Parts: sequence; structure tokens; C-alpha cells
Amino acid sequence: MKKHLLGIILILLLLVLGVNLVSANGGPHGGYTATTDACAGCHRTHTAAGPRLLVSNSTHNLCMSCHGSTGTGANTNVDDGIYLASRDDQAGDRNHGGENTDSGGSLLGGGFSHYRGEVTTSAHDMTDDDNSIIAWGNGVDRGERAEITDVEFSCASCHDPHGAGNYRILKERVNGEPISVDLVDESAKDYDTEHWGSGTSDLCAACHAAYHETAGNVGSDSSGQVSGGGFTHRVDMPYHYGENENPETIGFTDAFGVNVRVPLAESGTSDRVVCMTCHLPHGSSATMFGIADGAGVPGETSATDSALLRLDNRAVCEACHQK
Amino acid sequence: MEEKDTSVDRSMRLPSERWRRGLSILLLVAAMGTLVVISLLFYRYVTRPAPLPELLIPEAGRNYKPHYLFSIYGVDHPVGVTLSPDGERLYVSETGGERLIKMFDRDGNTLGFFSPSHTKPGERAPVYLATDKLGRLYVADRTQQVIFVYDRDGSYLDTLLGPNSTISEHVRQLAGDVPSNDSISYNHQTGEVFLGSQAVTGGQISAPALHEWAPLGVRFTSNGDMLVTDVSTEHHCVHQINMPVQWSPNSGDFNPSHRKLAGSGAGLGELKFPNVAMADSQGRIYISDGNNGRISVWESQGSFLYNFGMGSDDGFLRLPRGLYIDHLDNLYVVDVVGHEVKVYDVSQPNPVFKFTFGSLGLGDGEFNYPNDIVVDITGRLYIADRENNRIQVWSY
Repeated sequence: MKKHLLGIILILLLLVLGVNLVSANGGPHGGYTATTDACAGCHRTHTAAGPRLLVSNSTHNLCMSCHGSTGTGANTNVDDGIYLASRDDQAGDRNHGGENTDSGGSLLGGGFSHYRGEVTTSAHDMTDDDNSIIAWGNGVDRGERAEITDVEFSCASCHDPHGAGNYRILKERVNGEPISVDLVDESAKDYDTEHWGSGTSDLCAACHAAYHETAGNVGSDSSGQVSGGGFTHRVDMPYHYGENENPETIGFTDAFGVNVRVPLAESGTSDRVVCMTCHLPHGSSATMFGIADGAGVPGETSATDSALLRLDNRAVCEACHQK
Repeated sequence: MEEKDTSVDRSMRLPSERWRRGLSILLLVAAMGTLVVISLLFYRYVTRPAPLPELLIPEAGRNYKPHYLFSIYGVDHPVGVTLSPDGERLYVSETGGERLIKMFDRDGNTLGFFSPSHTKPGERAPVYLATDKLGRLYVADRTQQVIFVYDRDGSYLDTLLGPNSTISEHVRQLAGDVPSNDSISYNHQTGEVFLGSQAVTGGQISAPALHEWAPLGVRFTSNGDMLVTDVSTEHHCVHQINMPVQWSPNSGDFNPSHRKLAGSGAGLGELKFPNVAMADSQGRIYISDGNNGRISVWESQGSFLYNFGMGSDDGFLRLPRGLYIDHLDNLYVVDVVGHEVKVYDVSQPNPVFKFTFGSLGLGDGEFNYPNDIVVDITGRLYIADRENNRIQVWSY
């Protein structure tokens, strides 16, 4: 009874404070009214097949009913990491903002089965709906993995299907950790232009905390050892690597004329290197070969495991360091 | 004692006896033959109960639930199904693996597979499909944003870039000397145009302008009109395209008249992610209005009539996707998150809910995110059971 009372009070508070839960892509994720008819799309009150009264015992399958490659219920095809139709709502009358997302544009998070037309070589596995998952650096040192218990790993681990205070419906608490991601493209609601805000890395750190080392001297000199010993690349650092070109706007062109770029967060103001500078949160089709193909070595990558890196081999290093 | 001469009688009876004996043998052979045929039919029914329903005449009205027959495996996340006009070939679109179109016979034997040339799996997403009266296959591709046209064996013919334009028309207008039998194709994701196996984009031949449509569902009416659901952003609608009877794919001539039904939204006469549109025997058009959770009904002249499927009664729909109307005006609607098929009688002015079949699960007759359905003249139903990676075959 207390829970119900608290719930009612919370809802009333939200209404009083005028907090608007936004709807991503005009879909069913939020914007509910007191007489909403949207609940039955995903829930059954008395005949549910899965926990949380879901119509399915697989959150992933439920999400893919709209967000899969068929795009039968949404334009954000997260399976292939592309936006399926042009958002040409210049008038802004459908709550989509004024900016366009190109038809066929690559989604910022990458894709789960394909990315840029190629089969993914690494992706967060959403298909299991297992109650126990293993994450690198989760309460253990870097290079080690530990189980996250009592957490069902699914699309809903990072996204709130009921809507959130941002149009990418990113949750404000992931794996028990508070998250505050500043989405700088909130008004434009752009799905394919790199716009990363402050706090972006916190989303990853919720499960991979050991990699989230932000101190100024981490990895730069002998005093920069991190807890547990050793060194690691600093995260959330301002980009200032000598005279090198800005990796986001100019990048690095190799001897064969190939230009590689990586996005920075808080672009143009702080230009920060965040997790998403090098990694795609959904999945990547980058290939690893030569020395970078560490097949069979625990904790190393292989051609079939690109560790979510957004570029082939170690192009993400060259984009900034430009050796 | 006078010996009775029976030679004449015997000789007179002989043909009759021979006839009787012959008849007996014939009857015996016929009886044995019948027994063998019945035994074979029984054996076939026991080992594979697919063909038998064809021997039965479907009951008028089909006022009872169909029953599960068998499943066709070897398909990866199927979402679309359709049949050839004679009902002998089943076409299935896959959204998993290589994302192919697969062909099967009525018993589920594989006949072949194909996909649009010059595209990689990640660049294509075949969804709903349909055949016209001539047996040509039309496949709506969500990623390519076109409708591919194939012959009945899966040989590529042409690509519909929009409601009244084809890639062959585009290329032949730019380069009129293209041989008539050259295959002309286009990859929307890469912007490349191909003549046969050669990429020819650039110079004389440019990529076609992007059409403001995103075809998703495709069906044909009895008079040959093509109904295409369009989910291009902010323009969710249905195109009713008056396909020319004499249209020859790859001819460079495609200018059918067409009209749009509906617009985007949740109000009356508006649609949100319409999946499939199909007409009943009176020409009324039924549209699965996916994200509005209802069926939108339009009269044959293009005026909105009403919606149904909302509410909480037995006919309530959650997320309607694929639909099909059989020749008895039974409307079958696949509810993807209800994991079931709902059947309505639409022969009257207003639809009447008849029954539901199927439920969530992995077993025979159970569905796991079904997406599309097609019904043949004998009362056999084929249902794309997406997450169970199979096509379920049911029958009355």
C-alpha cells in the first residue's frame, strides 16, 4: 500500500513540476496522458508472458518488433545502425525538431547485427535476457571481468522504454549508478550527427568503472598509476595533443590518402575525449588484422571481436596521435 | 444309361465362365489397388499430413478455427509470406542471416532463394511481398526504399523507385541505347546503378533522385491495383497504384495513375506505420494501422469509413502487422505482440470478430512474434513465425 501511495505521490509531483517525458521519434515511449491507450502495446495486466507484465519474456525481441531491420514500427533501425527515412519535418509540428537526419544515416550508437552495411564484429549482446551478465572492469581491475548480478541486461538497461528527460531515452540510473548525460542535440533530435555531451562516459562507467579513469596525470607519466597499479588511457580529457590536427574536424590522412576521424564530446568548446570517441555503444563492424588481431588471447581482440572500436585496427589511435 | 453329351453346353458356358473369372480377377485387382492407394494416402497422412486437407472441400464461411499442420524451417527471422497465383509456390522474406527471399513448394520443400543483386545483407531488408496475376513477385525493401520485381523463378526484372517510376525507365531515358534484355538495377544505399554486372553510375547515367516514399507493405487487389503502404517520415499513407495490365518490366515505360489514402497521425483517417493494405471482394480497403493498434477501413473510391480493433473485447488488437483477406471475405490479422492471429468476417457492412488462434510459445501451433499471413483457395494458411524461425502451415 505504501508503494502505491509513494507511486501516486511521485506521479503527482511530476505533474506539478511540469516534467515532460519526451517521446522518442514520436513513438510510444512516453508522453502518456491519464487516458493513455499505449500500455497494452507491451504489457498485459493478467496474462503477461514475462516479468514486468510484458507480453514477451524477451525484452530484446519486443524492442526489435519495431526497431529491427524491417522498420515495421520505427525509423530507428538499431539492428543495422541506420535511420530508415528522412526526418524532413522542418515545420516542427510533429515534435521532431528542425534538423534532418539523412535517410540511411548511420545511427550514433552503431548497430547490433550490421553497421555501415557490414556484419558487426562486436556488439553488446542483448539477446540473452539472462539475469547474470559479465562486464569488463565491473568492480574488478581493467582486463578482468566480473558478473553483474540481479540485472537483466537488455535494451532497457540503458534506455527507458517509458521515456526519459532526453530524446534518446537514456536512463538516469544504470546498474544502480546515477547517470546524467547532457545531450547537446536535444532540440535538433539528430540521430546521425555526432553530438556528444558531458557525462557521456558515465553511461559506460556504470558497468565498466575500472576503465573510467579521469585524473589529470593518468597514463601520462610515472606518477599517473591508477589504483591497482599500471596505467590506462585517460577518459573525459580535453583533447590537446601538441600540434596535431583536430581529430574530429580534420583527423588524420595516411600515406594511402585514407582519412580517419573520431568524434569528441562537447565539440568546439571543451573537445573532450570520451568513451564514444573510440567505441560504439551498440556494435561495430570494424575489422582487426595483423598485430591487432589477438585471436585466442584472453582479453584481447580478434577479427571477430573488435571490442566495439569504431575504426579498423587501431585507426582510433592514429586519428588523435597522428604518428 | 444314356451318356449326356455336355460338350456343347461346356463349350457354350466357357466364355461366360471366362468372363466371370476375368471379372473376378479384375475386381480383385481393383480392390487391391484401392487398398494400396488408401494405404499410401494413410501412410502419407501419418508421416506428413500436409496434402490431405486438399481433398476436403472447405466449409463455407470457415466458421471454425483452423488447425496446425506442419512447419517449414530453414528460414531466418521470416517476416513476409506470399503465394504464387496457383498457390503452388510459397515466397518468404527473411530479416536474419543473409536476408534472402526463399521459395518453397506446398509441402515445404526448398525450391530456391535469391536477393537483389549488388547488395550486401546489411544493405537490404526485404519485408512484405506479393505476386500479381502473371506471377511476378514484388518485394518491398525497407532499407533500399524500393520495390524489387522478379519473375516467378526469382530472376530480377526491375525496381520500382516510386509510385510511377522505375530504374529501367530512369536509365533508358538517360541512355536510350541500352539493350532490351540488359538487367538494370540500383543499390540505394551506395547510390550505384548497374547494367548487368557493371556499375555505370557517373557520366551519362546518374543515380536516380531520392523518392519521398518508404514502401513497406505490398498487396494486389482483384482488379490488379497495387496497394503499397508508405512509412516515409511524416507521410504515412497507402498508395493505390493502377498497374497497367500490359506493363512489361525493364521496358522503360511505367506511368500508372495512382492516389494516396490517409495521412500521418492518430486521428480518423490517419495512420501510424501502416504495414499492409488489402481489399475485400467489394473493393473496401483494410489497412493494418500498426502503431495506432487498429484496422483502418476505406471505401473503394478512397473515402475513409471507420476504424476497428480498438477497445477491450475479443477483437482487440495490440500491434497489428500482416493481414490477408481470403476469397470468402475472412480478414486475418497478425497481432505481433499478441502472438496470435485474429479473424474477422468482413463480408457485411461492419466487420464481425470470429475467433483467435495461436498463442505465445515454441511448440507446434504456438507463435513467437508472428508477422505476416497468406491464405490459399483451399483454406491453407501460411504464417511467418519470426522469432521461432519458421513458417507455420495451418488448414481448415
